[in-house]
Amino acid sequence: MQTQIANRTAATARPASPAFGANGRPPIVVEELSKTYKVTDREGGFGAAVKSFFKRKFKEVHAVQRVSFEIGRGEIVGFLGPNGAGKTTTLKMLSGLLYPTSGSARVLGYTPWERQAGYLRSMTLVMGQRNRLAWDVPAADSFLLNKAIYRISDDDYRRSFQELDDLLELGPIVRKPVRNLSLGERMKCELAASLLHRPSVLFLDEPTIGLDVGAQARIRAFLKEYNRRNGATIILTSHYMADVVALCERVIIIHHGMLRYDGGLSELSRRIAPYKIISVHLGGCDDCALEAYGALLPGEDETGKKRLQVLADQAPAITARLLAEQPVQDLTIEDPPIEDVIERAFNESLSH
Amino acid sequence: MFEIFRRLWALNWAEQWQYRANLLMYLLFWLVSPIVYLAVWTTVAQSQGSVNGLTANDFAAYYMVLLVVDILTSQITIHVLAPEIQNGNLSNRLLLPVHPVLTQVLVNNIAFKALNLIALAPIWLALYLLFRPALNLSALHLALAVPALILAFGILFLLGSALTLVAFWTTRVWALWNFYSAVFMLFAGHFVPLALLPPVLQTIAKALPFSYTLHFPIQLILGKLGPQEMALNFGMQFVWLALAYVIFRVTWRAGVRQFSAVGA
Repeated sequence: MQTQIANRTAATARPASPAFGANGRPPIVVEELSKTYKVTDREGGFGAAVKSFFKRKFKEVHAVQRVSFEIGRGEIVGFLGPNGAGKTTTLKMLSGLLYPTSGSARVLGYTPWERQAGYLRSMTLVMGQRNRLAWDVPAADSFLLNKAIYRISDDDYRRSFQELDDLLELGPIVRKPVRNLSLGERMKCELAASLLHRPSVLFLDEPTIGLDVGAQARIRAFLKEYNRRNGATIILTSHYMADVVALCERVIIIHHGMLRYDGGLSELSRRIAPYKIISVHLGGCDDCALEAYGALLPGEDETGKKRLQVLADQAPAITARLLAEQPVQDLTIEDPPIEDVIERAFNESLSH
Repeated sequence: MFEIFRRLWALNWAEQWQYRANLLMYLLFWLVSPIVYLAVWTTVAQSQGSVNGLTANDFAAYYMVLLVVDILTSQITIHVLAPEIQNGNLSNRLLLPVHPVLTQVLVNNIAFKALNLIALAPIWLALYLLFRPALNLSALHLALAVPALILAFGILFLLGSALTLVAFWTTRVWALWNFYSAVFMLFAGHFVPLALLPPVLQTIAKALPFSYTLHFPIQLILGKLGPQEMALNFGMQFVWLALAYVIFRVTWRAGVRQFSAVGA
C-alpha cells in the first residue's frame, strides 16, 4: 500500500478546481504559511526552575509548516488532523488572530492579520468552546449589539434574523439569559450571532463539539443551507466524521503541521482504503467458510450480518461468486467507514 | 458609532445590575479609606484649630467632594480586561471590527460608575448630615468641573488601560497595579490634600498626571482656584490626555502583536 498519502504534487493536483471570486481569484489563497511557537523548555523540580530563571531554554514548536492551498467561492472544506496537528493555529492565522512566522495568506483580498475592519466585517470565526455572547442577558441583546457593531441595516437585520430563525428555530431561546441555555441552545445562538452580518467566509472550529446527535444534525443541516443560500466559503474542523461526510466534498489533512492530503473525500477513500465491505446474511449456515471469499471481520453489524473486507476492484466478482455459491438472503456492498479511512490516513502519515 | 455605545450601554447596564451585590461590597471597601481620612483629619483640625491653615470644615468639604470625584474619574479596566487577556477570551473581541477597549471596556467602566454613583448617594447624604461641611458651590465652578471630570476620567482610563495591557507580557500585572494605585493615592491627593505634603513630594505631584485627575477637580469645585491656576490645570489635563492616548496606543499595538505571536 502506498505509504505517502500526499506530497506537494498531490496538493497542486487538486481535483476540484476552485470557483473564482469576482476579482478572478479564489477567496482563500494560502501560500507556504508557517507558524513556529517558542516555548520555554525545562524539566520539573525546583533546581530546574531556578536554573531556567537565569538561563531560559527555548524549544521551537513548528505548529504549521509551509502549508499552501486555495479554496474557491462556495466550497465547504473539511480540515482534518489529529489533536495538535495545526488545524486551529491555521484557522487563527486565517481569521487574523495570529501572526504567521512566514508565508502569506489572502482572504477576500485582505491579509488577515492586518485585521482591517473591512475584513473583520466579512468573515467570522466560530469556536465551539468559546462564547461571544454576553452571559447574563438574553442573546437577543447581544444580537442587537452585533447589529450596531457590524453596521447591519434594519432591513438586512430583519432578513438575516428571519432566516436564522427559520433554520435554527431561535424563537423562544433568544429571550432567555444566555447562562440559562443548554449547550445546544447556546451553540445555536453563538452561530446566529456570528452570522447575522452574513459573512462570506466562515471558519468553524469544532462547531458541533459537545452536542448531542440531534443537535449536531441540525447544525449541520443549517450550515449546508447557509452555504447554499449565501454562496459562503467554509472551512470546518471537526472530530465528528459525520460532519465531514455530510458537508465536505473536499478535505485537507494536516499532520505535524504539514499538509498531507488535499482533495476529494471519496478520492481519499479510494487511495487510502481501496476496499469494500460486503455484508451478507446467509440462510441455513452460520459461517459457510466465508473466509474463502475475503477477510472476515470480527463480529457482526447491527443487523446481524457477517462482514467481509475485499479489495474494491474484486468486489463485483466476489459478490457474484457469493450469490452463486452460498444461500444468500441479503447482501450489501459499502465503502469502508470514513472513520477508518481517516484513521489510516493519520497513521500512515505518522509512519511516513 | 452612537448606536454601538447605546447598545453597549443597555447591555452593560443590565449586566451590572446582575452583580449589584458585588458592586456594593466593592463600594463599601472603597469607601473605608476616604471616610477614615475624613474622620481623622477633621478631628485633628478640630483639636488644633487648623492644620497648615486647613480647618476642620476644609477637610470635611475636601473629602465629601473627593468621594464623588473619585467615583466619577476612577476606572476598573484591570478587573475587566486582565482576565480576558490571560484566559485568551480577548480573541473573541479582537474578531469584531471595533476597538474592544475604546468601546466595550469603556462602556463597562461607565455603567459601573453610574451604578456606583446611585449606591453612593444615600451614603453621601448620611455623611453630609453627620459632618455638615459648608461647601460654597457655585454654578460656574460646577459647570467648569464637567469638562475637568471628563478629561480626568479620560486620562485615568487610558493610563489604567495601558497598564492593564502589560498583562500581554506578564501574569504579574496585579503587582504592578497595586504599585500604581499606591502612587496614585499619594500624588493625587487621596491620602491627604496635596498642600499637606512635603514640598519635594508636591513638586513630584506636579510632574505626574494624578493630581490633575483628582486634586484639581476637587479644588475647582470647592472654588479654591483662581483663573490662572484653572487655565494651567486644564492645560496640563490636555497634555496628559494626549500623552496617555499615545502611551495606550503604542502599548495596545505592541500587546496585540505579542498576543498574536504566542497564541491567542
